Amino acid sequence: MADARQSTAAADMARERLRDAMVRLADGDSAALEEIYDATRVKLFGICFRILGDQKEAEDALQDVYINLWQRADRYDPSRASPISWLATFARNRAVDRLRTGKVRGGAVPVEEANPLPDQAPLADSLLVDAENAAQIHTCIATLDENTRSHIRSAFFEGYTYAQLAEAADVPLGTMKSWIRRGLQKLRTCLEASEAS
Amino acid sequence: MSEDKDIKRDDPMIAAEYALGLLEGEELLGARGKVATDADFAWRKEWWDNWFAPLTDEVAGMEPSAELWSRIAAEVNGAEATGGENSGAEVIDLTSRLRRWQWTAGITSAAAAVMLAVMVFAPGSGPLSSPSPTDTPQIAAADPLVAQVPIGETGLRLDVTYIPESERMLVGAIGLTADGVHDHELWLVPADGSALQSLGVVAPGEVTAMELPADVARNLGNGVNLVLTREPIGGKPEGQDAGPVVAEGAFSQV
Repeated sequence: MADARQSTAAADMARERLRDAMVRLADGDSAALEEIYDATRVKLFGICFRILGDQKEAEDALQDVYINLWQRADRYDPSRASPISWLATFARNRAVDRLRTGKVRGGAVPVEEANPLPDQAPLADSLLVDAENAAQIHTCIATLDENTRSHIRSAFFEGYTYAQLAEAADVPLGTMKSWIRRGLQKLRTCLEASEAS
Repeated sequence: MSEDKDIKRDDPMIAAEYALGLLEGEELLGARGKVATDADFAWRKEWWDNWFAPLTDEVAGMEPSAELWSRIAAEVNGAEATGGENSGAEVIDLTSRLRRWQWTAGITSAAAAVMLAVMVFAPGSGPLSSPSPTDTPQIAAADPLVAQVPIGETGLRLDVTYIPESERMLVGAIGLTADGVHDHELWLVPADGSALQSLGVVAPGEVTAMELPADVARNLGNGVNLVLTREPIGGKPEGQDAGPVVAEGAFSQV
């Protein structure tokens, strides 16, 4: 238990340092960008690569993420989100944007073709999004049926739209929308209940 | 459509669809616009983002190439080094490359609106024939259309003004700065669902006036949407898809 407490404390400190660096970057301190890069590149590159499936594209996306962060650091509101949660969302959205510009197709390049295959590193605790949130979203997603769950996950990780999901599952668009909307409604009820308790 | 009637597609639902990236086309544009203009909707979208973010924890971390940081640092340092006069020169250069755009330096958007009004009433100012150029009462009755296109949550925005009879439009991008890597291209989204029409690359920090060709002017009206996309320098390359939409706004009558 002492270990768990220690790693929680370490994660809290890492989060605080990151938050501090984000605030300094927003205040115009460009040097803070390197601190942020050092602390988050492994997680954010993992996300970009997961979505884009291509080493070069993922690196271009990652570069885009940090350049954009540098240009618009003031968009981050420390009162609204933990810095790593916000950065993870930002990286995920940039990677999906890139997927949609049509230059790359997620999954079109087999993962093995990415050359050289980079080292996969398990994430340090300090890079994880807030553990309590993580447990709750997983609990709520687990209440959905397997079918809906997998479509929502595909939307998040593959960047699939309703139309693409419907095509992939070979069902009418309206059917796919109904499945996912019912799932999202259930998810919202579950998440809001957890916030109220 | 066999969509259930029992599922209410309220704002929190649309915010979830938007956060996950499920939406396309008009629905996507609508959600983007709503995030920029509706604080409750923006709050709800972030609420979903925060809940979905932990899903990324199951993705294995990966180390990018060692040289990636130097690429980023070079871009940051380069942009900082050329941030002064040079970026102004770039803007001028870009502007001069764009057909139909006229350089009108150093005026605010409010002044621009006044200037536009003057241009409208000046005889012979409209090379494109307006329906009845001498019918002054009708010109006065044609209220200008204005659109504000907020840029993310930066507090910056584009101001777009159009006076129907003049077929001229002013685009003000005061406060925006060129990053030397991207340009932003403004597009009209015709209400009839036809293809987006380019209104050209936006010149950061300036107000530019342009004459609209008739096939574009025809599509302008109250409520018509504008979107701003991020493109390589010089605007969307021929034959390629447009870049991601970064901002959105709609015209309304003054």
